[in-house]
Amino acid sequence: MIKHLIKLVWNRKRFNFLITLEILVSFLVLFVVMMFVAYYANNYRQPLGFEYENVWNINIDVKQESDDYFTPEQQALTRQLFNTVKDLPEVESVASALSVPYQSSGSFSSEEHNGKNIEYERGEVTSDFQTVLKLNVVAGRWFNKDDDAANFRPVVINRNLTEAMFGNEDPVGKVFGSEGEGRKESRVVGVVSDFRKQGELAGAGNFLFTRKNLNDPKERPPRNLVIRLRPGVPAEFESQLNDKLQAVAKNWSFEIQPLVNLRESLFRLQLIPVVVLGIIAAFLMIMVALGLTGVLWQSVTQRRKEIGLRRAKGATAARIKNQILGELLVIATFGLLIGILLVVQFPLLDVIGFISAKIYLYSILAAALTIYLLTILCGLYPSWLATKVQPAEALHYE
Amino acid sequence: MLKNYIKTAYKVFLRRKFFTFISLFAISFTLIVLMVATSLFDHVFGAMPPEKNLDRMLGVYRMSMSGGEGERRSTRSGLVGYGLLDRYCRDLPFVEKTSFFTAPNSIPAYHNGEKLKLFFKRTDGAFWQIMDFNFIEGAPFTEEDDKNRNFVAVINEATRKKFFGEASAVGKSIAVDGQNFRVVGVVGNVPVLRVLSFSDVWAPVSTAKSDGYKKEFVENFMGVFLARSKDDFPAIKEEFSARLTQVELPDKQFNRLEGQAETVLEGIGSLFISEGTGGGPSQFILAALIAALLFMLLPTINLININVSRIMERASEVGVRKAFGASSLTLVWQFVIENVLLSLVGGAIGFIGSYLVLQMIARSGFIPYADFHFNYRIFLYGFCMAVFFGLLSGVYPAWKMSRLHPVQALQGGTR
Repeated sequence: MIKHLIKLVWNRKRFNFLITLEILVSFLVLFVVMMFVAYYANNYRQPLGFEYENVWNINIDVKQESDDYFTPEQQALTRQLFNTVKDLPEVESVASALSVPYQSSGSFSSEEHNGKNIEYERGEVTSDFQTVLKLNVVAGRWFNKDDDAANFRPVVINRNLTEAMFGNEDPVGKVFGSEGEGRKESRVVGVVSDFRKQGELAGAGNFLFTRKNLNDPKERPPRNLVIRLRPGVPAEFESQLNDKLQAVAKNWSFEIQPLVNLRESLFRLQLIPVVVLGIIAAFLMIMVALGLTGVLWQSVTQRRKEIGLRRAKGATAARIKNQILGELLVIATFGLLIGILLVVQFPLLDVIGFISAKIYLYSILAAALTIYLLTILCGLYPSWLATKVQPAEALHYE
Repeated sequence: MLKNYIKTAYKVFLRRKFFTFISLFAISFTLIVLMVATSLFDHVFGAMPPEKNLDRMLGVYRMSMSGGEGERRSTRSGLVGYGLLDRYCRDLPFVEKTSFFTAPNSIPAYHNGEKLKLFFKRTDGAFWQIMDFNFIEGAPFTEEDDKNRNFVAVINEATRKKFFGEASAVGKSIAVDGQNFRVVGVVGNVPVLRVLSFSDVWAPVSTAKSDGYKKEFVENFMGVFLARSKDDFPAIKEEFSARLTQVELPDKQFNRLEGQAETVLEGIGSLFISEGTGGGPSQFILAALIAALLFMLLPTINLININVSRIMERASEVGVRKAFGASSLTLVWQFVIENVLLSLVGGAIGFIGSYLVLQMIARSGFIPYADFHFNYRIFLYGFCMAVFFGLLSGVYPAWKMSRLHPVQALQGGTR
């Protein structure tokens, strides 16, 4: 049966070539969209590793772009700001940070390990960072006061980085990399479940925390203070807080933002391209569906003679319908095969690193399934039309 | 003859309305997407107020300092610092006016306990002469204001509404970022897409909280040079690059300075195509064209497909015309014209559609103060696109039809 259908399709190859091409290109478009959707959906399901409700960020603008150099006055003023915020009754806890969640800026480092370059993001935070963002420590411990006296530099890493650096071994107590010649060596004291700074939609990354001591004259003053508010603090607190900060440091500027707001704007930024792409793809598919219906309709009208003859020889309406749909599915399969063959080249060539094989496979399957559904939908009306062809028409045509 | 073709085309379009609908849907949808993209592009790069002199402007937007070797290598990059601009870029040749200003900073302002998010830009006096703002009331601040560190500001219409409602704002004072400014002028809202002039509040450079900016080489300033004409660009670029090599860097840590005088298109283009020290803008435009062609691929195939099957329906007409001696070329010509006509109708629908889509984008607030209106440029682009699309999707089916054998065609079609 299938062999026969292929033969029928082959006999009209010029005509079917264009349909195949159209299905091939539609598949490629759908595949790209599906890949984005699958990537984001998969990321969204992973745990975030921190809690953002009731957390605000205070960005300190010291009117100087670089933080490679700083003065003792800047350090003292930053400490004063920190203590001012800490003593406010509305504030539950406060910590300083190099960069905060849902912010695109950050500091990145890399480490050679077994000949492979492992990249990770760094966060310099004070001890209370874990309480402010409710990080989930899964092994070892978080930073504490005793670390001031330690003869090594304590670091806390996330699970992803643990896997990359230490595999299945227990990382607690191990030396982390070769960082800091002349300085104290870094040693892992704890592991957090995760810290996905770029939010729910971004992929899992490697993260490393180092401990910041605001009293150390050698350390640069932080540019962000993250605070956890007591429940029920009204939004008007923001302008009061700004006034208090401004009173401490007249020549600096502050930008206070609830993490909820940062999250929303980052989401928007990440989703707009996908939504635009999705809308365009949806319209493209409607267009293809309409076009295909039209083309099939036309082809059925053209083949009345052939269909009439089959009816005259005793073929049932269902068999005619199956023939039209069957031919269509053969064409679709052919287009899909070429498309999949093309698409499979990318991971083989290792072009897109951040998309896992599983997501890749899902997107191929989802796109192929959509194409099949689409073609069947397009074939329904024309094939129904074909069943209405009277045997007499075939005879009286010539 | 053309009149005849148009008449025939009209009859054919009416005969199978479903097919005409599909074709028009495909054409107008394709053109809507392309036109929306083009007009967004035009709103960033086109010369229109306030940046009406954009095609005579060169600017310095990015600067990077680097030093050291291998492991110890360090780089600092960002926008330009005022120190560098002030010391080395004041008197470039062939330049009529020079202006230095900061990128718009997002700052919070609090009004009656409510938070207003404002963009804040510090500019010099020349900025107001190079740009052509639409002043609703008052006037811009001047070089004198900048020199004397007067706390004056120009605000846009939206900001006036937030602070003062519908009332006049000139002479009143606003508190922004912990400083008080006296409003001297109110301008119409500037779309965020105008990268050089956009802001909510503009104040003199000298009102900065500290004068640390005067020493910086890489910070958050931009410099713009208004050339006498476009032809002077190469000379200005060359002079700028030559001066850059003579700059004495303030920090021992750094020994190399990289940056160039460029147009906005070159500046933004090289953000997308990195390492493009050579043909930045042409590569950028090429990439955009390739993307547009790729996008047009599917609609084109779709339309060719529809056209090919429609043409079979008209086989008998072709047979008759051939039998009476019409050449293949005449037939190709006729069907291409028909297709271009259809594309133009689709183009007209596309115009209306893209106008609606742009209004929707403007109203959604994704692009603050977006103010889309069609100009003759967009109209011209759209018209060219429609004709191009018509040709692209019409030539193959027409050629295929013209090759029909008259006898076979008269019989009523082929396989």
